[in-house]
Amino acid sequence: MNIGLKKKDRMKRLNLLVFIAILFASCMNEPVQQPNTYSGNFESLWQIIDTKYCFLDFKHINWDSIHTVYKARVDTVKSQLTFFDLMGDMLDELQDGHVNLISDFDVSRNWDWYLNFPPNFNSDLILKSRYLGKNYLIAAGFKYARIASGKVGYIYYSSFEDNFSDNNVAYMLNYFSACKGLIIDVRNNGGGSLDNSQQLASPFFKVETLTGYIEHKIGVGHSAFSVPLAMKTPANKNIQWQRPVIILTNRMSYSATNDFVNRMKLAPNAIIVGDKTGGGGGLPFSSELPNGWLVRFSSSPMFDSFMQLTEWGINPKYSVALLQTDAANGYDTIIEEAISLIK
Amino acid sequence: MKKQLFLLLSFLITVASAQNPDDKKYLLTTNINTFELSTVSFLDPYLSPIIYSGIGMQYNHQIRSFLKPEQTNISVQSKLNLDISVSLNPQSTSMMMFMGANYSWGMHYHFRVQNGFQLLAGALWDVDFGFKEMPRNVNNPVNLDMATNLNLSGIAMYNFPLFTKTLRLQLTAQTPLLGYMFVPMGGASYYEMFELGNMSNTFHLSSPINKRGLNSSLTVAVPFNKSVWNFGFKYFTLKYTANDMVFDKNELSLVIGTTFDAANFSGRKNKAPKNFLSTNE
Repeated sequence: MNIGLKKKDRMKRLNLLVFIAILFASCMNEPVQQPNTYSGNFESLWQIIDTKYCFLDFKHINWDSIHTVYKARVDTVKSQLTFFDLMGDMLDELQDGHVNLISDFDVSRNWDWYLNFPPNFNSDLILKSRYLGKNYLIAAGFKYARIASGKVGYIYYSSFEDNFSDNNVAYMLNYFSACKGLIIDVRNNGGGSLDNSQQLASPFFKVETLTGYIEHKIGVGHSAFSVPLAMKTPANKNIQWQRPVIILTNRMSYSATNDFVNRMKLAPNAIIVGDKTGGGGGLPFSSELPNGWLVRFSSSPMFDSFMQLTEWGINPKYSVALLQTDAANGYDTIIEEAISLIK
Repeated sequence: MKKQLFLLLSFLITVASAQNPDDKKYLLTTNINTFELSTVSFLDPYLSPIIYSGIGMQYNHQIRSFLKPEQTNISVQSKLNLDISVSLNPQSTSMMMFMGANYSWGMHYHFRVQNGFQLLAGALWDVDFGFKEMPRNVNNPVNLDMATNLNLSGIAMYNFPLFTKTLRLQLTAQTPLLGYMFVPMGGASYYEMFELGNMSNTFHLSSPINKRGLNSSLTVAVPFNKSVWNFGFKYFTLKYTANDMVFDKNELSLVIGTTFDAANFSGRKNKAPKNFLSTNE
């Protein structure tokens, strides 16, 4: 009987020792830090994109073959500048305006999403007396005026980085209370904060509306994404505009502006007019290389309410181009089209 | 005569039954305030895969007292730690700022091994809140450190004479045992977590399997005429993993501080004796 108890005690002790051994032997290894060499920085950059960039499969990019191609070229690099250009070229394969390599001496970028398209915007034109003129009002980042003999309200918003309050919006919409409709011009607006996008869209919704989805990477696999999360646009309880609102877009309407347009597509009285937006439907993240360069890349893909990616841009309902003949006469073809739609 | 005898007896009984203030036991609270200057290193893969290193400062306020006047084997301890540091990546192209606060509370059992040598063993529950900011990052510039832990704690105190003084050598060590911690998914933005409310996979149970650390210090308390000063070193290391990321923090600090005992009197039943003079009379 006693011998049996001793055996039990021994087993208990053994089990305890095994448990403690497993506990402390369990791996908690930090990832290998690449050396600060051309090869190490290349491997680090390639791996960041391989594991964290969200559009490799969506864009059908064979990232492994890109490794093969660029690895061979890295071995011939002799200076930092050529190495930077080479890494910039590798990132250019992603065809993504949200991808940048940032060093102390340069920023690599892909601006093809608007450089290869007509601008459809002329900042001098909107300052003509026919539109904003000289005596336009300014509220936070908004420039606004009554145009078309006071029948139409016109707001130009150049960046979603410019924060604003509900008060700013309330004053503007009140100023336009006698107008038949409103134009919100977000051409050449390269984006900014998604909070601002949601806040600006909310007065145009009567009820909270599902306007899109967002995912994020949950593993290193190119298609390892979380369950899509609904992005809703709430109705602003205090400020409402339920008359026609026209959103003017061009290829430089990008990122958070793309998100704003995606939301406004579903606003009850909104119409998108102009050119297709530039896209930028991937929320960017930052990381860095052993040499201290920063890399920015799309990390969380965003979709419209039909689960279609917004990375490639959003088509307008009325596709209108800025005609040079109109511009020469001081007319903005796209604003004129919006005015006629409101009238 | 009878009357005189009665008065004398009454006086003696009164004197005998009156409580001498010197006999009543009062609990003193030991207050330890320390400042620390540290070298720090961080690895936070949510912000960067690169190890950042730099300097930091900490302030600690610790109070400890016995549980009851009659119970001098168990002490209660609480501690507030404020921490600030600035660190850089190896190429000095990016900066990380850290600000944190930690509050812990717990008890120790005192083993009086021999005269002047005590071992304290116990547990501390703590709450940890801090944030790391890397301004260069555009959409992921901040990561929060939030955790609560039950820690094992041990203290060794040894008094030894040196010239005319008695110095106290103190070694402390704490290690996290069980807890709960906030670690975001590597690719999840704070916009998604806090604006859209998607907190899935952000809170994790912690144990020695996924969180290990040691918060230790070695100090010597030197008594001067009217104060006791502490000098020493602190070593802090913490490593934890969740969501396929390994986080690391290390600190080596120079410690300087003071220790003093104070008695707390407050309320109706805990009044100061008459021979204690207070401005709050």
